[in-house]
Amino acid sequence: MVRSLLKDSAILQYTNPLQISILFIFVLSLIVIFFSSISLGSFSFAFQELFNGGSESLDSIVLFEIRIPRVLLAAFVGASLGLSGASLQGLFRNPLADPGLIGVSAGAALGASLIIVLGSDLIPDFIFGTLVLPLSAILGASLVISLLYIFTQGFGYQGITYMLLVGIAVNAFASVGIGILTYISTDSELRGLTFWTMGSFGGSSWQLIIPALLIISMAMFWMIPSARKLDLLQLGEPEAYRLGVDVKKLKFKVIISSAITVGISVSLSGMIGFVGLVVPHLVRLLGGVNHSYLLPGSALLGASLMMAADLLSRILIQPAELPVGLITSAIGAPFFLWLIFRIRKA
Amino acid sequence: MSVDIKNLSWEVDSKKILDDISLSISSGEIITILGPNGAGKSSFLKIISGDLKCTEGQIYFDQSNLNDISIQDRSFIRSVMSQSQDVVYDFSTREIIEMGWLDRGISNYSEDFKKAIDQISEECSVKNLLEQSFNTLSGGEKRRVHFARTLIQLWRPSGSDDPRYMFLDEPTANLDILHEQKMMKLIQKKRDEGLGILLILHDLNLAAKYSDQIALFNDGKLVDKGLPKTVLKEDTLSAVYGLKMHVEKNPFRINYY
Repeated sequence: MVRSLLKDSAILQYTNPLQISILFIFVLSLIVIFFSSISLGSFSFAFQELFNGGSESLDSIVLFEIRIPRVLLAAFVGASLGLSGASLQGLFRNPLADPGLIGVSAGAALGASLIIVLGSDLIPDFIFGTLVLPLSAILGASLVISLLYIFTQGFGYQGITYMLLVGIAVNAFASVGIGILTYISTDSELRGLTFWTMGSFGGSSWQLIIPALLIISMAMFWMIPSARKLDLLQLGEPEAYRLGVDVKKLKFKVIISSAITVGISVSLSGMIGFVGLVVPHLVRLLGGVNHSYLLPGSALLGASLMMAADLLSRILIQPAELPVGLITSAIGAPFFLWLIFRIRKA
Repeated sequence: MSVDIKNLSWEVDSKKILDDISLSISSGEIITILGPNGAGKSSFLKIISGDLKCTEGQIYFDQSNLNDISIQDRSFIRSVMSQSQDVVYDFSTREIIEMGWLDRGISNYSEDFKKAIDQISEECSVKNLLEQSFNTLSGGEKRRVHFARTLIQLWRPSGSDDPRYMFLDEPTANLDILHEQKMMKLIQKKRDEGLGILLILHDLNLAAKYSDQIALFNDGKLVDKGLPKTVLKEDTLSAVYGLKMHVEKNPFRINYY
């Protein structure tokens, strides 16, 4: 009887008041950045006129058909990279885990590139094009994660070095694959490939992003309630099991949800490095390491930072655009170095 | 109420690590496993905790087969403490102790829970460490914190008397003699509250002083079990450990050189 009472408690009960206020500030900044992102860019709006004027004006088309889907996609991709980074770091008990470093993003990009270059030959009419691409990216991501699982003997503690090494090997393999595909691709396919390797949110449309946003949200709502179990996992797998955590199930959940969210993100926006690595560290530095705070915090901050990076990519060299992956890597790479030095000191 | 282990054997690569062991852990009793390195003590503890599956034999917790008890339900009836792994992220000591309770903070009990944390951390002398970062603690302090966590795991909001068991693999490792004695007394106190307790110890005299029952393991087999004074005999001990032992009757004490 006591047992049934104690099951399924809400996640907020594991966060402290400071963490709740930090999460609240994250939400506020998310809203602020969202509205600045949709109003700033190479095409600026006069909101006043927009809401007074007719819905057929150029302003409203740019806003509702181009700008808002793009900013939304950036937010969701940022959220899924931040969240999967945080949960993978928890699962591997390693602060260096990141969907990019361990090769998951590369697997997804390879899956997507295969479809871009070979898809038109394999599927004559390219009928399912909008679906095949994300699915193939998800498959690529899942394949890499399964490889990791096998090589690290079920993500055991001993296997963490192997994990990063396997990640390096997979990244190398993926770049070979993408290299070959680049070599045999036509001019228009080459354009598409370049897009994957650098990442961009350009060209988002509602038809493409609505299913993605739905699936990403579902995966996030599936993942976040496991936060407490990820905390217990930090004591080690046997300890977590003795405390009542079904470790196998938890691993499965984290891995599948990361594969899905990262696969979809990469399929729609290409490879965007370092967000999954950097964001959870920032969140931890601000308020603590428990996952009931870390997971929602990383999703929120990831979304804000990604929208900001996308905004930068749009306004830095107006009216042209920088690939957003260049911006995140330019900021993330030095941060990664700092992190390594910090770990070495400790 | 008791944990009953019947004819347990465990083989790895057709080598028998544990051979036909039958043992009971009763509520309100401290039973200590003694034996040299490689006798199979820790493997035995891992198997009855459910970490590993035995090759032959049955394990019953109050008449229910361990295999039929869900992972979460297992955590309510037994807590386990063994050598712990490092914690990578910077949790506070309080957070580590609270991890003993998978579903802490149900509002009906949260006040009681806070009191329980206070009381248990006081008993384990870690109260002054609660707000410190766990990773900055010494080995012995970490051990006491993990012990507090295993106690929290078996804590109950009300005066419920459902049977609970505690399996401790060398709980006093890394402890100074003061904290060693404090921990053993606390373990006795938990026994008096009705817990069934299984210990693995290396110090024969510590085991003789605090145990109700001794089970002597050697080479995967149960050599003898019973009251400390009947099991801890000069010839058996000397044979099992390969070391000359001398047992003094009054006060009961085992000397070895």
